[in-house]
Amino acid sequence: MTLRNASKATLGRFLALVTGLIFLGSCGGSSSSSSSTSTPAANNTAALTVGFGPLGAAGGYVNGIFTSVTVCAPGTSNCETVDNVLVDTGSAGLRILNSALTTVPASSLGTITDSNGDQLQECVQYGDTSYSWGPMLVADVELAGEKASSLPIQVIGDNSFAVPSQCLATPVNPSLPNGGNEDTVATLGANGILGLGGFGYPLDCGSYCTSSSDLTQSGYPYYVCPTGQACSATTVPTQDQATNPVAAFSSADNNGVLVTLPSIPALGAANGTVSGSLIFGIGTQTDNALATTATVYALDEYGDIPAFTYNGVSYTSPTNWSVLDTGSNSLEFLDANTLASVGIIECADAPGLYCPTSTIPFTVTASGANSTSGTIMFSIMNADTLFNTNNAAFNDLGGDSGTSPANDFFDFGLPFFFGRSVYIGMMPGVFTGESSAPSGAASATNGYYAF
Amino acid sequence: MLTLGTVPAWAVLGQYESSVSVDQQYLRSEDRVQAFQAYKVHQLTTANGTIVREYISPQGLVFGVTWQGPFMPNMQQLLGSYVTNLQTALPAQTHVRHLRGLTVKTNDFVFVNSGHMRFWKGSAYVPSLIPSNVSAEVVR
Repeated sequence: MTLRNASKATLGRFLALVTGLIFLGSCGGSSSSSSSTSTPAANNTAALTVGFGPLGAAGGYVNGIFTSVTVCAPGTSNCETVDNVLVDTGSAGLRILNSALTTVPASSLGTITDSNGDQLQECVQYGDTSYSWGPMLVADVELAGEKASSLPIQVIGDNSFAVPSQCLATPVNPSLPNGGNEDTVATLGANGILGLGGFGYPLDCGSYCTSSSDLTQSGYPYYVCPTGQACSATTVPTQDQATNPVAAFSSADNNGVLVTLPSIPALGAANGTVSGSLIFGIGTQTDNALATTATVYALDEYGDIPAFTYNGVSYTSPTNWSVLDTGSNSLEFLDANTLASVGIIECADAPGLYCPTSTIPFTVTASGANSTSGTIMFSIMNADTLFNTNNAAFNDLGGDSGTSPANDFFDFGLPFFFGRSVYIGMMPGVFTGESSAPSGAASATNGYYAF
Repeated sequence: MLTLGTVPAWAVLGQYESSVSVDQQYLRSEDRVQAFQAYKVHQLTTANGTIVREYISPQGLVFGVTWQGPFMPNMQQLLGSYVTNLQTALPAQTHVRHLRGLTVKTNDFVFVNSGHMRFWKGSAYVPSLIPSNVSAEVVR
């Protein structure tokens, strides 16, 4: 093993590097930190607040949900708590803005380097073709009383390398702020993203980034950038990929999360007045037992609920994929054409959002991979009416997913979570030392939702 | 091997069918052709499971494309000059963000991209190029 940065030698990780056309077989499995000591139950509850986020009403977004994350230089008590981190159950891995790290700067974190000493970089893409670019570094991460040691995280914006065009879906986009690069508070609208879901899977790339056969693919996320050369795609062992911190907790609370938010009025709630709980673990402590009233929906191999039925029509995964997603601000489901018969129309001033003339109730049936089914009831109100309240939290804001049943999806964003306790259980067996799922979800081999 | 920094101007949406073979080389994919009465479909499948379908009108023009795979595709490659329509039509990010997906509907360009790391899918078509007796729904 060669560690190039002497000052970080004890913190660094060595990246098993494969670039270009060199073939290397499977890079082996993942492993968690080796703690198996039995310790008193950790404080497993982090506070959630709902609102516009750090940009406020003028530049922020509605239905943002935020918590605080403590980032520590690995193996030290040198820690910094970063607030306004977006809680996202639709992605995996912790990503923090470089600008949000001040007393524990990125330079104090551990590095992940290849045999040439070049640091691992990641380009993560978002659905609107914007992206975030920055190095993968190693930190001890604390959430409430939980700790994930030596966790690979992305520090967004901390590098001087140009983003490789290979990873971008479109050329640098002059129509988007900062060309689509979300590497500041102004463009990201948060100090970071805490990815706690990932469609059942705790890693952001998994086997797609361990084999050299994918290195030439457009949209590939991991790179190294040798001095004086263009960045090149690189394979990354799973233990160095962006990882859901919960999966790496040293405590038993490492098999999923429970998100609880209060009910709110139909016209919404003011910025910062809605708070909730992010509880780590499912069935591991007295405060996170799987409620007997909750229906468990096992996910399919794509990490989706296999089917939704609305108005007699079945929408199936993966064509019509789905997610329970605190990282989306609205209920994105079906489309205005498909829903025209019940009175859904798009807002004239906000294409893609729904502006019916009156509030419309919906009942959708969800069918799990474990043969369970249940109904999801919600309403959609006119988005303009909602925005005119100047409130920041809404349970009835909706919009288009696609344009027709051929490409529609079901992104149950934050409105879905108000007035519910939603369990998000991870796929078992990816990390050693992971607590078992509670008996009610034991058959969910791809992870599950319960509510 | 992918050339960084430049993308040749041979992308397909709105172009002639001959551009498909260039895509096939680029994607290093297998090409399967389905012929229907009013259009045909090239389905390109790569080794890692990415599927690209290109819909061809009787005039030989690509009127629609779809994609599904573990990584988000290069939209400039698939959309050609229509990538400009995508970029200029991106909705202003007011009130909501679009981490998971994006829909663009204009008179001459319809686009949907959605998904998450390890799974992306989408479609795009040019309404004016769709054969008169064919529904846009076939682009799926």
